[in-house]
Amino acid sequence: MIEIKNLHAEIDGKEILKGIDLNLEKGKVHAIMGPNGSGKSTLSYVLAGREDYEVTDGSVQMDGVDLLDLEPEERAAAGVFLAFQYPVEIPGVQMSNFLKTAVNAQRKQRGEDELDALAFLKLVKDKMKALGVKDDMIKRPVNVGASGGEKKRNEVLQMALLEPKFAVLDETDSGLDIDALKIVAEGVNQLRGEDRTFLVITHYQRLLDYIKPDVVHVLANGKIVKTGGPELAQELEARGYAEFLGEEAA
Amino acid sequence: MKQAQNLARMPAPARYKADNAATFVEAFEGNAALKEGPEWLVSLRQEAADTVAEMGLPTPKLERWKYTNVHPAIKDVSGVAAKPGFVVKPVDKLVTDLSESLQNAPEWLQSILTERPHATFRYADMMMWELANMFTQDGVVIDVPAGQKVSEAITIDFTGHEGQLSAPRAVIRLGEGAELTIIENHKGEGQFWNNALIQIKIADGAKFRHYRMQEYGSKAVYTQNTHVEIGEGAHYEAFTMALGGNITRNQVHAAVIGGGAECDIYGINLLDGSQISDSTFEVEHMAENCNSNQFIRSVMRDQSKGIFQGKVYVHEGADGTDGYQLSNALLLSEGAEMDTKPELEIYADDVKCSHGATTGQLDEEPLFYLRSRGLSENEARALMIEAFVNEVVEKLADETVKDVVLQKVSQWLKL
Ligand SMILES: Nc1ncnc2c1ncn2[C@@H]1O[C@H](COP(=O)(O)OP(=O)(O)OP(=O)(O)O)[C@@H](O)[C@H]1O
Ligand SMILES: [Mg+2]
Repeated sequence: MIEIKNLHAEIDGKEILKGIDLNLEKGKVHAIMGPNGSGKSTLSYVLAGREDYEVTDGSVQMDGVDLLDLEPEERAAAGVFLAFQYPVEIPGVQMSNFLKTAVNAQRKQRGEDELDALAFLKLVKDKMKALGVKDDMIKRPVNVGASGGEKKRNEVLQMALLEPKFAVLDETDSGLDIDALKIVAEGVNQLRGEDRTFLVITHYQRLLDYIKPDVVHVLANGKIVKTGGPELAQELEARGYAEFLGEEAA
Repeated sequence: MKQAQNLARMPAPARYKADNAATFVEAFEGNAALKEGPEWLVSLRQEAADTVAEMGLPTPKLERWKYTNVHPAIKDVSGVAAKPGFVVKPVDKLVTDLSESLQNAPEWLQSILTERPHATFRYADMMMWELANMFTQDGVVIDVPAGQKVSEAITIDFTGHEGQLSAPRAVIRLGEGAELTIIENHKGEGQFWNNALIQIKIADGAKFRHYRMQEYGSKAVYTQNTHVEIGEGAHYEAFTMALGGNITRNQVHAAVIGGGAECDIYGINLLDGSQISDSTFEVEHMAENCNSNQFIRSVMRDQSKGIFQGKVYVHEGADGTDGYQLSNALLLSEGAEMDTKPELEIYADDVKCSHGATTGQLDEEPLFYLRSRGLSENEARALMIEAFVNEVVEKLADETVKDVVLQKVSQWLKL
């Protein structure tokens, strides 16, 4: 269970999140939709612990632990994962080295044994195959020179390896071709389970055809303005966000 | 092989004189052994001593020494070591002790030992050279005959003597088509000054890989002057890893004198405390269609300081030259500093040259990305710093050296 209460956050003195209240039930897939600039990515960064966003009020609890007290790496070890809207390129850092370091860093923080090179390689090869990630990808520097779609697949590969308890997917569908979308959705669906909570940020119903959400929220102007079932996504697709934008849209 | 000529072309001499070499001039005067030996040698030393006595040692008043002042660090160095500390392995018939060959030096060796490739009025580049000339006593001569490809790397382990100046010389000659790898290891604690002079002749089609791991203790001063001449289709690959020392001056002058030759000068500096590491390179292109690369990456903590002064000089007629210089520095602390001065002078046609210098901090975005995957801040930083220096290490041709360097890098990061 993830409880977000009255979450306010600002960047460079500008308030972006203006009191978010969200209860994410364990084992469920929650979708967030909302207009550009409404604060969806900001919310995802704040959940993952990015330091340039200042949380000015509110709390985020995951299974009784206050996430906002934790460093980004501690949140990761606690099971938080963010698939970035814009995955970061890291020249010179080989994907395989990065993945292995990440998997083992989390295992170490949780007091588990580290995987040796062979065990890790087998694990990563299996996941790559399942997600249709090209073999040479792990020999390349992280995201450098990867296409938009390849980067998104890399994010899902990382999620599959790290098996988080709480995964936030920020527009993971954008940039994916139809086949990739299916593969990625399948990857998410395979991970779905009683212990795993998903927060899926998207602009399109199409993704939600493959990853069926349990709950859909609308985020507009830094607040959750409506919550409903999967049908809400369809309504939004038909009608847009005008009704939520109030004066700004008029 | 063509001789390098007319390297002199700097404008009128700077009127520089410094009265700061008395200690070493006295040490010279008091050492009878330096006045003995064949005439050419005695006069080489004497001329050098006279010059040093008259002109002194470099200070930041000289443009080429603007960022590096050795004097505070050498003020407690007084004696001059009778025998510089070095061990060459394996003992091979290609290698001779300079102390032995000096007495009956063949013509070619004499001519190398007495060369002064920079005009005397370019004194800023010659001062430390003259200091080595003055104390020419020992060192190593490596002479690889034409066609011989030496498969095992020759290592030279240098060290210093407490309170003393050492002036080891190295003369390395590769015949046509020869191949050689040398690994210099510099280790030792204490307050000493090692001023090395290395002269290299690479004949047509030969390949020389020249690696240096500088890991002296934090009080040592290390200055070195390399002069290399690269023949037609030949290749020189140099790499210095500066980890240790109080002050390091790595000065390389490369004359690319044969067509189609290649010259790569690489370096990484990993500095902390109040260390200073100065990379001063000059590549002179004197023949057509040659490539040169100067590529330095520096990572600095605390109050440390990195310096890159790189120059590419393309002579008239050296058409089709590609000459690159790049210095990238990461400053990990507020007090750290990087000074860069890349220069280009071109008098030929169809030349591709570029120089670039960046100085900055680690990017926050990738750091957050890595941490969001569970890496601690230190692990994330280490991974990124490793990646940063790896881009230089990747260029090296020798796989064993690459591994050694990467190990040392990760050791440094764990400090
Ligand atoms: N450094 C910053 N300084 C000022 N404003 C910022 C800064 N970073 C983001 N913003 C603003 O915050 C608002 C929310 O941005 P955010 O990226 O969270 O939107 P989003 O809902 O994810 O949009 P999209 O659907 O386009 O991805 C935007 O108006 C954006 O311009
Ligand atoms: Mg966004």
